[in-house]
Amino acid sequence: MNVPEYIASGILESYVTGAVSDQERREVDCMSTIYPEIKQELDELAVALERYTSQFSVEPPESIKERLLAQLDFDVPIRSETIIRPMPIDRAEGGGSLSFRTTWVVAASVGLLLLIFSVFLLSQLRNSQQTISSLRNTNSSLQTEAGHLRDQQGQTEQILALLRQPETRTIGLAGNEKAPNGKLTVFWNATTRQVAVDVRSLPALPANQQYQLWSLVDGKPVDAGVFDSGQDVQLTNRPIGRADVFAVTIEKRGGSPTPTLSTLLATGQVNS
Amino acid sequence: MKRQSSTVSESVLLEKLRQRDQQAFQRLYDQYSAALYGVVLRIVRDDEQAQDLLQDIFVKIWKNLDNYDASKGRLFTWLLNIARNTSIDAIRARKSQPNNAIRTDEETVHIVDRQHNTEQPNSDYIGMQDMVNQLRPDRKQLIDLVYFGGFTHEEAAQELDLPLGTVKTRIRAALQELKQLFK
Repeated sequence: MNVPEYIASGILESYVTGAVSDQERREVDCMSTIYPEIKQELDELAVALERYTSQFSVEPPESIKERLLAQLDFDVPIRSETIIRPMPIDRAEGGGSLSFRTTWVVAASVGLLLLIFSVFLLSQLRNSQQTISSLRNTNSSLQTEAGHLRDQQGQTEQILALLRQPETRTIGLAGNEKAPNGKLTVFWNATTRQVAVDVRSLPALPANQQYQLWSLVDGKPVDAGVFDSGQDVQLTNRPIGRADVFAVTIEKRGGSPTPTLSTLLATGQVNS
Repeated sequence: MKRQSSTVSESVLLEKLRQRDQQAFQRLYDQYSAALYGVVLRIVRDDEQAQDLLQDIFVKIWKNLDNYDASKGRLFTWLLNIARNTSIDAIRARKSQPNNAIRTDEETVHIVDRQHNTEQPNSDYIGMQDMVNQLRPDRKQLIDLVYFGGFTHEEAAQELDLPLGTVKTRIRAALQELKQLFK
């Protein structure tokens, strides 16, 4: 990513004057979170435009302020206090006319009805609980998925930004006898010092191991970051300014400070 | 310039605004209403409509305060964008009404004419013209067309009969010049 070139392209000026498409706006938003220089230039342009537009200030009529003050809801509504009143007691009078037996039958049937009703409610409750828990599961899996997609999109956008740069070079790496079918491509931009790896075929590794990329400068290996075998294009988060040769070894997960030469399985010349 | 203290007081203001504090709203209004009203007026060019729009704009600001994210941009710029977008939507709606079709062309000509004529004294902007007039007239005309007229680059190129590339470089040059002017 060539930041000065991006700033000079004029897209930031179009952005602040509101003359960009939705896609361009998202791109600028994304770039300004990644590159502080872009954010700073955007802020300076925004300030310039703020000052420019302020030159045209006109005091609005006082009536607008009054109307707004009357129209808007201010302050969070104050919680009303709950007043607890004693339950009204219904003192039924008389009752002597009903016989003891009738009272008993009525009480028993009311009790029975209540019992049936509560069984019904209980089964309803169970159903609802099941629905809720399955919805909760779906919801959390959707959220995880959305998170993954967001991460992936961020990655993809960064990679796309790297690939779009004309200075980005493509270096093919071929496997040696340890990985005869091994093939991968390294994308490298010496200006922005970004490196990405596209694994086309490499054997899968156990969970405690990862592939590590090295750049050889005058025969000395420099750590160029780790990557996995399964994914698509991956950015390795190590800045690489110089490289004569790129090489790949198998290392413990997280990478090693120096390459394990016995696991060297692919190399590629930068100027071949 | 007291940049630091102004950002501190701005975050306090925002905090109070989010608690729906009436005094905070009045401060926001007093601080920005003239600038926003100026922008709305310049876009719609009609006092009555501009007043209605300004009221709508502050209602919108009030309702959307929770969506403002200070880390993503400046408050004033956010407010300006709401004012500009609301006003441009309003003139587009006005233009799309068929019975106003004829007026539309006159209006466009009117906007362009006024912008060609940058030396024209205007009682509204007394004392403020100095800075504005330092901007090269061809650049000022283009900023006004795009920012206040809501023209896309393509529309502006057509309007001014210029190649699209010239429009783009001129907008960049204009903003860079403004940046230097207001440094």
